[in-house]
Amino acid sequence: MLSLSGTGIGRGIAIGRAIVLDHSHRQIPEFTLSEDAVEDEVKRFRDAVARARTGLLRILDSIPPDSPPETHAFVDVHLQMLDDPVISEQPVESINHERKNAEWSLKTHADTLIAFFDGIEDPYLRSKKNDVHQVVDRVLAELLGHTVTDLSRLDDDLAGYVVVTHDITPADTVTLHQRGMTAFLTSLGGPISHTSILARSLHIPAVVGLHDAVRYIRNDDLLVIDAANGSIILGPDDAVLQEFRDRQQAHREEIASLTLLHHQQAITQDGIQVALLANIELPEDLKLLAPAGAEGVGLYRTEFLFMNRSQPPGEDEQFETYCQVLDTVSGPVTIRTLDLGADKQVDGGRTDGERSINPALGLRAIRLCLNEPALFKPQLRAIFRAATRGNARIMIPMLSSLSELDQALELVRETHRELAKEGVEFNPHVPVGGMIEVPAAAISADLFARKLQFLSIGTNDLIQYTLAIDRIDDEVNYLYDPLHPSVLRLIYRVIEAGRSAGIPVSMCGEMAADPEFTRLLLGLGLREFSMEASSLLQIKQLVLNTTVCDLEKTAKDALQCLEQDRLRNMVEQLNIDKVSTV
Amino acid sequence: MKLEREIEVINRLGLHARACASLVKAAVQFSSTIALKHDGQSCDAKSIMGLMMLAATQGTRLTLVVEGEDSQQAVNRIVELFSDRFGEEE
Repeated sequence: MLSLSGTGIGRGIAIGRAIVLDHSHRQIPEFTLSEDAVEDEVKRFRDAVARARTGLLRILDSIPPDSPPETHAFVDVHLQMLDDPVISEQPVESINHERKNAEWSLKTHADTLIAFFDGIEDPYLRSKKNDVHQVVDRVLAELLGHTVTDLSRLDDDLAGYVVVTHDITPADTVTLHQRGMTAFLTSLGGPISHTSILARSLHIPAVVGLHDAVRYIRNDDLLVIDAANGSIILGPDDAVLQEFRDRQQAHREEIASLTLLHHQQAITQDGIQVALLANIELPEDLKLLAPAGAEGVGLYRTEFLFMNRSQPPGEDEQFETYCQVLDTVSGPVTIRTLDLGADKQVDGGRTDGERSINPALGLRAIRLCLNEPALFKPQLRAIFRAATRGNARIMIPMLSSLSELDQALELVRETHRELAKEGVEFNPHVPVGGMIEVPAAAISADLFARKLQFLSIGTNDLIQYTLAIDRIDDEVNYLYDPLHPSVLRLIYRVIEAGRSAGIPVSMCGEMAADPEFTRLLLGLGLREFSMEASSLLQIKQLVLNTTVCDLEKTAKDALQCLEQDRLRNMVEQLNIDKVSTV
Repeated sequence: MKLEREIEVINRLGLHARACASLVKAAVQFSSTIALKHDGQSCDAKSIMGLMMLAATQGTRLTLVVEGEDSQQAVNRIVELFSDRFGEEE
């Protein structure tokens, strides 16, 4: 038995036999053409491009109608790249001028393109070099006279098989999925590559980024894959195999039972009621609330109303939109005021044209709103007017000092006075809360709590600011850790501040949607979670299976824990009888 | 008619491959020449490689330059794609 690990994609357990494909070490011949061979070589190259194109079109045709919509898009991207002269014409110049063979001309040209992508700062956009690789590989395969991943040699029925290879294109992922492939493992790839995104939506368990570890796997090896944590067991013994079969079964049953939970209230075994709310951006997102059983909206990101237009939306337009949301949702709707800033600008907003070097620390959110009351006041007016229609709450983002809070609250009162004076119908009792996402606010949460009617912990920024880590940056994101003792202490501090002040505390960052942390947070006293609707039922099920009074001691002990490894063990303890994660 | 318009990339992932693909699909519908400029770099909006190599992340401001008979329609369509965040969810 041997264990390997990489980046797990999706969840669930897969058991199957390996089919090892390898096309990564293809030798690319290099030679100089005789003058009269150049014309034929250009034709040979163009024919190969045309065949690669036909191959992609065939895949596009064979995508089953019930596939996720992005499936077509991924194949389309490759078709367009193939049609782009940058890929399909520029090598011709090198064949003509340098008289190099087609494979070599294409390969050297592709290397230049890939080197360009390697220089891109943004990790996500940089990763698109894989698409260049994959498209070029298709043409190379045609030139060298064999199919891309040797898929044609494979049996049509891949049920029970795990495909192991250097890399899989999105198109091949679809083909293999249609043939019933159980799972796949690749040396390349990361959590946000196209193939991984597709695997998640097709519910194919996969482990990517295994690097050289794939070399340990031989054809027909029996593999057990736990996609949730990216681990693979090679040649499991009978006991291990049985354990995973049981977990696989439990996992299937759980998926089926989750959908039954949407009507049920989220109450723990010891009778504690937990509020589970949804995060939304646009009124269209509201249709996701009922199937997920969300009790309301814990975070309504209003900035999307303001983006990509020459003028900010007027008070009446905002009023209409907020009414639409409040009319649809019976529970609370937490409207976060504008979180625009240096990185999310209204067109025609700031005129100086200067961009902050470090947008996350710049003039954003409440800082920008206080700086530009002409932008902020119409939003406040629209919210207070719409609040006669439903259960609205206002949440102020990015608070870092009490004077900012005082200024914001003064603007709230001023808006009330103006509306009253004008005789406009409005609700003066809208609760005002603060988003606690800057460490300064978390440390002094007790002071903020005295002036606010609720607090909401924004963990994404709180973790990023506390640990000084840009988590989009793949060179440091390994340091991004919700279980860092300093993060946990800040979270606990905010929860305690709310409790002493007698006001609710909710959490609306990604941590609230992660089942690993649900029990820890319940143990620390959190009673309100807001998340993407798609995660809600899973968290609800966990709440239903939790006895909070059993967790409190371990959760508080975790705050005193200095060693990260021990802390992780404690969290595992809390989750010990947790039903398998879906 | 030559039109210029400032646009901002608002979707979280920036001008990623699928966004570029939908941009190309839209751009080739028009006879006008359509270019996107950023930091002195200019690319043809009908070339997916050019767009991908612009490496425009969220928050990047681009200048859209459209010239031709149907330039107004082209500007409208392209601005719409950017505002729709290319159909990206978050």
